[in-house]
Amino acid sequence: MTTHNHLKQAASFRDPNGFIFSREETIYRQVNIAYQGNFDFLIESGLYNQLVKEGLLIPHRETNAPPLDPENSYKILIPEKIEFISYPYEWSFNQLKDAALTTLSIQKKALEFGMSLKDSSGYNIQFHHGRPILIDTLSFEIYPEGKPWVSYRQFCQHFLAPLSLMAYQDIRLGNLLKSFIDGIPLDLTSRMLPFRSRLAPSLLIHIHLHASGQKRYAGEKLDTTQRFNKTSLLGLIDSLETGIKQLKWSVNKTGWSNYYQDEQSYTAEGLAHKQQLVSEFISQVKPGIVWDLGANTGLFSRLASESGAFTLAFDFDPAVVDRNYQEVVSRKETHLLPLLQDLTNPSPAIGWQNRERDSLKDRANADLVMALALIHHLIIGNNVPLESLVGFFQTLSKWLIIEFVPKSDPQVRRLLVAREDIFESYTQDEFERRFQEQFIIHRSEPIRDSSRRLYFMEIRS
Amino acid sequence: MNIWILNTLLIATQILSSTPDKKLAYLDPGSGSFIFQMIIATLVGAAFVIKVYWKRIIGFFQKIFSRQPKDKQE
Repeated sequence: MTTHNHLKQAASFRDPNGFIFSREETIYRQVNIAYQGNFDFLIESGLYNQLVKEGLLIPHRETNAPPLDPENSYKILIPEKIEFISYPYEWSFNQLKDAALTTLSIQKKALEFGMSLKDSSGYNIQFHHGRPILIDTLSFEIYPEGKPWVSYRQFCQHFLAPLSLMAYQDIRLGNLLKSFIDGIPLDLTSRMLPFRSRLAPSLLIHIHLHASGQKRYAGEKLDTTQRFNKTSLLGLIDSLETGIKQLKWSVNKTGWSNYYQDEQSYTAEGLAHKQQLVSEFISQVKPGIVWDLGANTGLFSRLASESGAFTLAFDFDPAVVDRNYQEVVSRKETHLLPLLQDLTNPSPAIGWQNRERDSLKDRANADLVMALALIHHLIIGNNVPLESLVGFFQTLSKWLIIEFVPKSDPQVRRLLVAREDIFESYTQDEFERRFQEQFIIHRSEPIRDSSRRLYFMEIRS
Repeated sequence: MNIWILNTLLIATQILSSTPDKKLAYLDPGSGSFIFQMIIATLVGAAFVIKVYWKRIIGFFQKIFSRQPKDKQE
């Protein structure tokens, strides 16, 4: 993530209760005096300890470091470091679903301790050690007895709406979260969902009737004497939880994805050789953070994550990202984060002044980037000139493991079937010449039983 | 589940048949959501209570039946 010294993070500008800022590589959270009562209650009630114990809330420690805004400051915290900030539109179906269920679990736990979530934005959840966790310690308020859930609408827009659209209509509708930073409007969701979604009680209530209700009652005066008791609140949470749990997305039904398509391009010996080379190169760099671009279901990403590097496994296919995530969950992996990313149109900077959510480029933090069986998709599949590709990798990291897939390769031939071959400069010589302008090629190894070649490069300083 | 469907239908009728007092050029969905929650409060609350008790009843019988084979052995 891009951080500047003493910079107040743009994403937390709305919250009067505190904000995140960075100073010399350390991330701090200032808790304002305005939040003192709630913060003390969070700690003294035991809720903070319980949530941290259950892995639902980011742990922090208090520090004497000087505040950024001393006039309003109550406390300064140093939260445990999150390796990479990702956004809901970069999560696969089950990542978003788990983030939703985590939010509801936190809300249920908070109610047990006499508090309630006043904010249920998807952006407050991050993946940490493989699991979703709440990172905004200032999201709680002392439960206002008799009041409805203040962030009910936000929860529906951030979680229930995209998940139901993905499950009932099309997995790609998760992309709408990029356009609607505060979640997908419920009237739009209601119009886009098929009629059969009305047969699911939770969707009928929390999406369809909720959308109609919003329209009917917008601008009406609130009846302040009417109470919303705790049983109703628990019922509301329970109903949302049931609804979320019932939403499922199956890869087989959609025809998405070609698992291991690229791995099928090798013989068993070739694949083993490629794995051995990649492992060798990784061990030479000993990276802290690795980005695997076009990671598929993470076969090679795991060589990095199992070596101890925190590894981001990016792919544009929601099915492989989801499958990879489910593997992370079942194996309880802590160093691997699969994320959706279309490199031909990477996550932009969005929100107020384009500073609320960073672009992918702004979050570049890798020591090593792996681009295995990828560049033919960018050069031939997307007409990216070779020199532009070099420039792209140059901005990402110091070390690069990159595979060259020649035109004679069946996968490239397949790409060329439907397009004119205008890629005369797509040759091994030209590839090496262009990359050598910006990188030092330390190793260049042909992969056994294959026409492909693996390169290990370092950026020229 | 029947109570869910019945209640949901009642709420649907209430929402869809009522007419707002005034039309606004810009409608803030936030206040609408707040009032909507008040309307569904009884439904979600009642469904929750029924669910909790239903689980207890099922749990009670499961306990009895799971005990029986053990009792016979004794």
